[in-house]
Amino acid sequence: MDTTFTEEQTMLRKSTADFLVEKYPEIKVREIEESDTGHDPEIWKGMAELGWMGLVIPEEYEGMGMTFQDLSIVLEEMGRNIAPGPFFCTVLEGAYPIIDAGSEEQKKEFLPKIANGELIFTLALLEADGIYDASDVAVKAVPKGDDFVINGTKLFVEQAINADYMIVVARTKEGASPEDGITLFIVDAKTSGIHCEVIPTIGMEKLCEVSFKDVAVPKKNMLGELDKGWPIVSKVMERAAIAKASESLGAMDGIVPMTTDYLKDRVQYDEPLAQFQALQHIMADMFISLTTSKYLVYEAVWMESEGLPCAKEVAMAKSYVNQNYKEFSRLMVRLYAGNGTHREFKPGLYYRRAKAASIAFGDTELQRERIARAIGLVS
Amino acid sequence: MDFKLSEEEEKRRKEFFDGCEELAKERPEDFIGGIEADFETKNQPYVTRCRKEFAKRGWLRLGWPPEYGGVGTHMDRVFFGEARGYYGLPGVDIFGIEMLGPTLLAMGNKEVKDRFLPGIGNGDTLWCELYSEPNAGSDLAALTTTAIRKGDEYVINGQKTWSTNAHNADWAFGLFRTDPQGRKRRNISFLLMDMKTPGISINPLEYLNRAHLYNEVFFDDVHVPADQIIGEENQGWTVSQTLVNFERSNVLAVSAVQRMLEMLVGYCNETKVGGKPLSQDPVIRNKLAEMATEIEASRTLAYYIADQQNRNQVAALFESSAMKVFVGDLFERLGALGTDILGTYGQVSASRWARESGVWESLYQTAFVLTISMGTNEIQKNIIAWYGLGMPRPLSPVSIEKAVAAAQAAK
Repeated sequence: MDTTFTEEQTMLRKSTADFLVEKYPEIKVREIEESDTGHDPEIWKGMAELGWMGLVIPEEYEGMGMTFQDLSIVLEEMGRNIAPGPFFCTVLEGAYPIIDAGSEEQKKEFLPKIANGELIFTLALLEADGIYDASDVAVKAVPKGDDFVINGTKLFVEQAINADYMIVVARTKEGASPEDGITLFIVDAKTSGIHCEVIPTIGMEKLCEVSFKDVAVPKKNMLGELDKGWPIVSKVMERAAIAKASESLGAMDGIVPMTTDYLKDRVQYDEPLAQFQALQHIMADMFISLTTSKYLVYEAVWMESEGLPCAKEVAMAKSYVNQNYKEFSRLMVRLYAGNGTHREFKPGLYYRRAKAASIAFGDTELQRERIARAIGLVS
Repeated sequence: MDFKLSEEEEKRRKEFFDGCEELAKERPEDFIGGIEADFETKNQPYVTRCRKEFAKRGWLRLGWPPEYGGVGTHMDRVFFGEARGYYGLPGVDIFGIEMLGPTLLAMGNKEVKDRFLPGIGNGDTLWCELYSEPNAGSDLAALTTTAIRKGDEYVINGQKTWSTNAHNADWAFGLFRTDPQGRKRRNISFLLMDMKTPGISINPLEYLNRAHLYNEVFFDDVHVPADQIIGEENQGWTVSQTLVNFERSNVLAVSAVQRMLEMLVGYCNETKVGGKPLSQDPVIRNKLAEMATEIEASRTLAYYIADQQNRNQVAALFESSAMKVFVGDLFERLGALGTDILGTYGQVSASRWARESGVWESLYQTAFVLTISMGTNEIQKNIIAWYGLGMPRPLSPVSIEKAVAAAQAAK
């Protein structure tokens, strides 16, 4: 057991933080958030130069061959800076499923281009029910000659308007169970018949409705095996859930000192707010929640990174951080009081993102049901 | 960063779990484990049995220096705590083993260590703590019981309270005011005394559930040899705040709640209400999942603290304050959750009508042990806010009054 980060990891954290603080000042975060695309190609280029998109891509595909644990450090820092953009979806929802399930040709075709920042990827999974469950997958893919033809509508597809490719989760067969008969396709986002529209959401992360009308996808772009795509999706969801928890943890780790400093600066009744015990105990409670969140997340990250079975630990970390990030940002608004409710101040940014983060890849209710099963509660 | 124990550590951990599992088989029918189990008179034969077995295995001297019979590492202490917590075993005198032992190792001179450590490490001497007074709780340094130096003795007069296990203890350590005119915190000394010293009288106090855990202790001209002081005279406050050598992970409490949660899961799987197993109730599933999550969070934090302490003795201080608050709260909330899930039976004390041997009704009342003793949760939060987050200490009403008076006088 060694509960400290390696020297390389500490350096990675520092260089990530330096880049993000420089490139994503609050004003830039707001500018990107308010823009139509929610994406800044200049920053993206800088991230590519640092190798971030290729961090976990094996070296043989021009990546850096680093671990999921290393990636989680970058994600924590991105969360701390509430950095918007297509990084999360490209790496977690694009690169990883191709690393996991792609053919040699697919890996050679896509991974180097992801690593060098040429391609933005996303995953088209959710549909009308908005749940992370195979039963919600109704978009159909039907074989026709050398192609599959996709029809239907996907929802909440992150950054679809910026994506070069989408991995589309489609139904190819009505199987014995909802999980049976699901197939994944790597779809060129410019294929005719695809229409994207941004859904207005609280986190403004450019979650899109993507409709498919007779969209032809070459059979060679099938990812993994026909009808057996759900386990790939499950793995993506598990990894994305803990990655999202890392991002949220970074935000929480930022909220505590930021709010403490605000309370030290702001004077009322001739005293800094930080001197009032009612507020001190709120901050102490936050410190306690932050401390307990950290090692729960780090354990799940480590297990995921080592390839150990960790469905339970991931569900625990995600549900716990879901609740704590929401609570931290709520308290941040409260402690900034009037300023907290003003759109120009920082608390609202976190508050809105925390809600979105808690939903992405499994809200608390879904995760807790997984935990209930994992601890042996008979259903 | 990794949480993987080495093969050697896994092996050692298993030894502790196996040893504790064996002892757990000998527990009497009416024994309800828990932090308080050590102190009740009716439990004493089993408490002694466990203590002697632990002593035989050297488990009361884990991480001690070899010259005092020390065996194992800091991590062994952690594993032993984890195993003992899981099986709810008594037999480790927290005052001797967890508090005085580390204090003597850090601050005691050779004579004192030679005299007292063997009794602690062999499980021969039981200790209690004489700290709190009726008017000195969280503000412990306000204590007024005096120990006045007369020749080569201190003469003690006054009263202590909440003295856990004083009724079983052979010896005591405590804080006494040695300089009645001195400045607060610089007028206190740390003394050891034989509980059979003439002039000491003990009055039992009943706990919520009528258990005999703690006592009032009165001192009427109690003569204590001056060489039973630890540290310098009037430096006792510093001695009591020693930070080294303590095991701060609270892993014992974590594994105790872990075991209780497993029991509760079993109960929900086996118990039908209205023809349906409780385990199918979505509210119960949600709450148990939440509790399991918080227990896992506290387990990972305990291991973090243990590992950091293993590397550097005084590491992770605020994290251990956070840990104590969190796991203390967990006990209270688990007691509430368990009794809620038992429904009507949640109120039944140990008897033929009780379910789960009345363990939940008991926990509901004893769950305050961690949140109140050794610095209440509220005090821990002050520590975190003032020293961990660097927030300024609030002005006390007294200082505000003084400031106002000074301002008026200046006018």
